[in-house]
Amino acid sequence: MNDKLKEAFGEIRAEEQLKESTRRFLAQKTGDVRKYRGWGYKRLIPVVASMAILVAGWGGYQVYFKPVSVISIDVNPSLELGVNRFDRVVSVKGFNEDGRKLADSVNVKYAEYTDALEEILSSDSVRRCLRRDEVVAIDVVGDDESACGRMLTNIEHCTSGHRNTYCGSSNIEDVEAAHELGLSYGKYRAYLELRELDPDVMPEDIQGMTMREIRDLIERLSGDDSEEIPEDDFQGDDSGEIPEDDSGEIPEDDSQGMNQGGCRGGHHGWGHHGWE
Amino acid sequence: MRADVAAMAEDGEEGISIRVRIFTMRSEEEVNRAIERYADTVRRLCMIHLKNYADAEDIFQTVFLKYVLSSISFESEEHERAWMIRVTINACKDLLKSFYRSRTVSLDELVDWPAEAPADHREVLEAVLSLPQKNRVVVYLHYYEGYTAPEIGRLLRKNTNTVYTLLTRSRQMLKKKLEGFEDE
Repeated sequence: MNDKLKEAFGEIRAEEQLKESTRRFLAQKTGDVRKYRGWGYKRLIPVVASMAILVAGWGGYQVYFKPVSVISIDVNPSLELGVNRFDRVVSVKGFNEDGRKLADSVNVKYAEYTDALEEILSSDSVRRCLRRDEVVAIDVVGDDESACGRMLTNIEHCTSGHRNTYCGSSNIEDVEAAHELGLSYGKYRAYLELRELDPDVMPEDIQGMTMREIRDLIERLSGDDSEEIPEDDFQGDDSGEIPEDDSGEIPEDDSQGMNQGGCRGGHHGWGHHGWE
Repeated sequence: MRADVAAMAEDGEEGISIRVRIFTMRSEEEVNRAIERYADTVRRLCMIHLKNYADAEDIFQTVFLKYVLSSISFESEEHERAWMIRVTINACKDLLKSFYRSRTVSLDELVDWPAEAPADHREVLEAVLSLPQKNRVVVYLHYYEGYTAPEIGRLLRKNTNTVYTLLTRSRQMLKKKLEGFEDE
């Protein structure tokens, strides 16, 4: 009887029609799932795209508005220009009252740094200073040595028509140290120089002084009466060696902040466009 | 195609371990293979529980859609077959319990399933279908699928002794209905 039961049950088979309708049903259902899933995936596209745009926008913002180098300009007005990796000025900060006034009076934000520099040097307050035979110290500060070197060359080029202009470059740590003392980098460098000669000098003492006054003070304290330093001493020797006699103007000691760059021919230390 | 996470708890020798795995919707090839392999089994279980073709169609769709979407990784063909039987029986019970089904009678119910079977088997099938439903399933699983009483107990979540009792009573009833029925 077992066999009879088995044979009888074995006679029951699924109709092909039933199998086929099941296959059609499943194809439709799984197709729906795929369609739904596809729709879900597609729905994510604008979300992902928006997020990508936001991230790219934020990244771009960070890249564009982050200064990678600083140009410090000191006459008596002391101000600093933050320059991004695209050579555009993204920040202008005055470090004393005159500097803040100068920063407010010029419209250099987002301009190329060479144009910005031209505008600042051509501004009334700077021109007045220069007429009084004041000294302009321009320093390029950044971590990228080659970029700073390139900027320095460009700055030298655009300041070549201005007298009493000194150019130099340094690294970002020096700028941070300068800011801690409330000084722009140009004045900080002069302060270090001055402190070598007079350890009692304080940052506050030079904050209100013009660069000419500071340089005159340095010259007086160093006992060097020479009014001028022949340009040849700075430019004629590509080796960058500075005669010890010139220490009044061009300290060799890197610790004094003149450790990188130069105005002409890649010299390290200070360079200038002459006491014309 | 379909990513999801399934947590499977299984009794191991040293307690319960939890496996978490990623699964995908079964491929068309897998589904076609399952239909070819288990369609007859599902059909027989439909015959045991239900009385019309339309319901069988519903059950087929339910069972194989569950299979398509199932996350279970079958350890063997026997495991897969047992899963199919279990799912089919549950689907049939759910259908029988449904509100609509419990209060209406389809015209198709008048169709007699074994009618199309050869004459010599028709008598046997009619005798089996005349048994109470719980007996029919046990008879089918034991005499056709070849499961033992303990295996049927695990499959139907019934006590083994209950299965033995059901089998014994079923044999007695079949003996009465079918002259010369001898359990071998």
